Amino acid sequence: MSEPEHDPGVTGWHYDGRSATRHDVRVVPTGDGFLLASIGIDSGPHRWSDLTALDGTGGRSVYGLKGVEGWRLVFDGRPPDAFAIHLPLPARYGRWIDRIGFTRAAIAFTVIAAGVVALVVSAPEWLAPLVPRSLENRLGDAMAGDVGDRFCRTPQGRAALGRLADELGARDAGVRSIEVVDQPMVNAITMPGGRIVIFQGLLAQARSPDEVAGVLAHEIGHVRHRDTMAGLIRQLGLGVILGGFNGKVAGAVNGVLAMSYTREAERAADAYAIDRLRRAAIAPDDTATFFDRLGGGAAGEKQERALSWINSHPVSAERKAAFARSKVAGTTYHRALAQPDWQALKTMCKADRHVAPPSKLQW
Amino acid sequence: MTASTDSAFRFEGRWQEYAPIALTNLLLIIVTLGMYRFWATTRTRHYLWSRTRFIDEPLEWTGTGKELLLGFGFAIALFVVPFVLLQLTAQALAMNGHVGAAGTLTTVAGLVVFFLIGVARFRALRYRLSRTYWHGIRGGSNDNGVGYGFNWAFKTIIGYIPLWLLVPWAMVSLWNERWEAMSFGSQQFRANARVGPVFKRFLLFYLAPFLLVAIGVVVAISFGSRLATMMPGPHVSPGPAIAISIIGFIIAIYALLGLIAVVYYAAFLREAIGRLSLGEVDFHFDARTGQFLKLFLGDVLLVVGTLGIGVMFLTYRHWRFFITHLEATGEVSLSTLSQSTTALPRQGEGLLDALDVGAF
Repeated sequence: MSEPEHDPGVTGWHYDGRSATRHDVRVVPTGDGFLLASIGIDSGPHRWSDLTALDGTGGRSVYGLKGVEGWRLVFDGRPPDAFAIHLPLPARYGRWIDRIGFTRAAIAFTVIAAGVVALVVSAPEWLAPLVPRSLENRLGDAMAGDVGDRFCRTPQGRAALGRLADELGARDAGVRSIEVVDQPMVNAITMPGGRIVIFQGLLAQARSPDEVAGVLAHEIGHVRHRDTMAGLIRQLGLGVILGGFNGKVAGAVNGVLAMSYTREAERAADAYAIDRLRRAAIAPDDTATFFDRLGGGAAGEKQERALSWINSHPVSAERKAAFARSKVAGTTYHRALAQPDWQALKTMCKADRHVAPPSKLQW
Repeated sequence: MTASTDSAFRFEGRWQEYAPIALTNLLLIIVTLGMYRFWATTRTRHYLWSRTRFIDEPLEWTGTGKELLLGFGFAIALFVVPFVLLQLTAQALAMNGHVGAAGTLTTVAGLVVFFLIGVARFRALRYRLSRTYWHGIRGGSNDNGVGYGFNWAFKTIIGYIPLWLLVPWAMVSLWNERWEAMSFGSQQFRANARVGPVFKRFLLFYLAPFLLVAIGVVVAISFGSRLATMMPGPHVSPGPAIAISIIGFIIAIYALLGLIAVVYYAAFLREAIGRLSLGEVDFHFDARTGQFLKLFLGDVLLVVGTLGIGVMFLTYRHWRFFITHLEATGEVSLSTLSQSTTALPRQGEGLLDALDVGAF
């Protein structure tokens, strides 16, 4: 005669994962496992090690069984101690955080995140010069495509532009082409692959060839410093690390970082321009006054200064002052281009019959 | 088991209890540069589901952060990267003068994304149901959502063509189609929402231009009369007054369109959920326009008042609102509600996440 069971076991309730019926059960330990005993059906024996703790259960303890979908064993409150020693703890922050501990994980990730951000912010500047020129050139050509028929070209105008570029160190800087486009914008841009484009509007508005020389030298500075390549790398890097956030956050952070970085690049390009103008003995005055027109006079400057922390270019007044300061008393300056050359450059778009009419192509 | 008592669905959460989850989520999301958000979503759902009681048992969320991460990576690799490459190709084509080819490519890419939005919505709902347990039973669908994706794109475009007049039809029929493909345990959802009850409210959008003209006239008249009283003073400039009126008018446009959208959407959800059933259980949703407006106003005040930190509580607020207004009547037969035989999707709502569109 065996003794009647006086240990009623631990009580809870159970779903078998096959139907939604609730079974009130007693948990009966059986050495390395347990049995669920209830009226009607018994379940088990099951092994302790097959139990999984499920979290987020509103003050109750819920366990699943490996390999049986929907199998549940539920206790009100904490599991009884006799039972609990066999059971795994539920995950709290996610297992990978729980393993390290919340505080230590938070500190460790802060350090890593700061490192990643610092790397991505600074990497383009030192990574860009490491990219082979030939690769950048191919990339630039693929992006710019074939826009040859929209460039203004005359033999005299190109000769003048070539002389000016040589004097400003374009060849050493890695410039591959300088073209004039018949568009009214008062601007010049640098594209990946060492290509500089001057818009006709700049030539039309310029007071003197010195002013064009200043702007051109600035763009050559961008090519020399590999700024467009750095920009491409930065976009790529930010895209990768900000991929974890949603679109709007990423866009805002990207914008602010891009702006602050661009301002540094603009200052450096200005410094290059000032240096080249000095070496070529071209007076910086006219380039300085060019910024007056950009800033739009005193009122414009005030507004510009207020916005300067989000503006990509340093405030025009500061840039103007830098160029103006670079003038050295007693130096004999000469014009950047002789009068016939300047005329040939200025009128190149009018003189070139082969150029396609101005299009709505956006740069 | 009957669910005819005053409320079969009860939300039993407390914000004080949720706050530690929300705040640690925020902290971990920031320091992991956003990586943690998959686990944050999972923790939030664990909490919200476990505090949502249906009749006698709370719901249970069994999704994991890892599968959300996998789903996201999957969607990025399979859809977003090819799409970006396609766009770059189109740009290069346009730059090289092949404008026609570029246009075709862009249009095709656009249509593909449109189709994917439909698929994403379907699969997100399927994933959520498949990770939701009650009494050890889960939901799901045997459909992979591709057919729904085509129908979504097709019906949405049809809806736009006659001056958007068929948009309510598209919304209602797509809702029905999506839910009829879903099941919970051995039982299929049935959805037969109708266009009639929501169409009148949708027509308010067409009334909006007339209302705006009326507002404009009122503003102009009041401004005109004020201008008349200002006339004697030679130094009073009408400039700022005009600027304020214009800004006010623009705000009025947005406020009015937003208001109509809420008026319409409240009716849509009442009709759509009210005609949804599962086995012997009929669902109801009783939130009215004013209650939605209070919810959204509360959202704005909360976020502004906490300088943005309150964003972490919006999911909580919206879920509480949804469950509080959700009702169910009828009977659940526990012994015949057996386990779902649908395939268990292996990763989460990645496509939805990657495309940045909502599930509802």
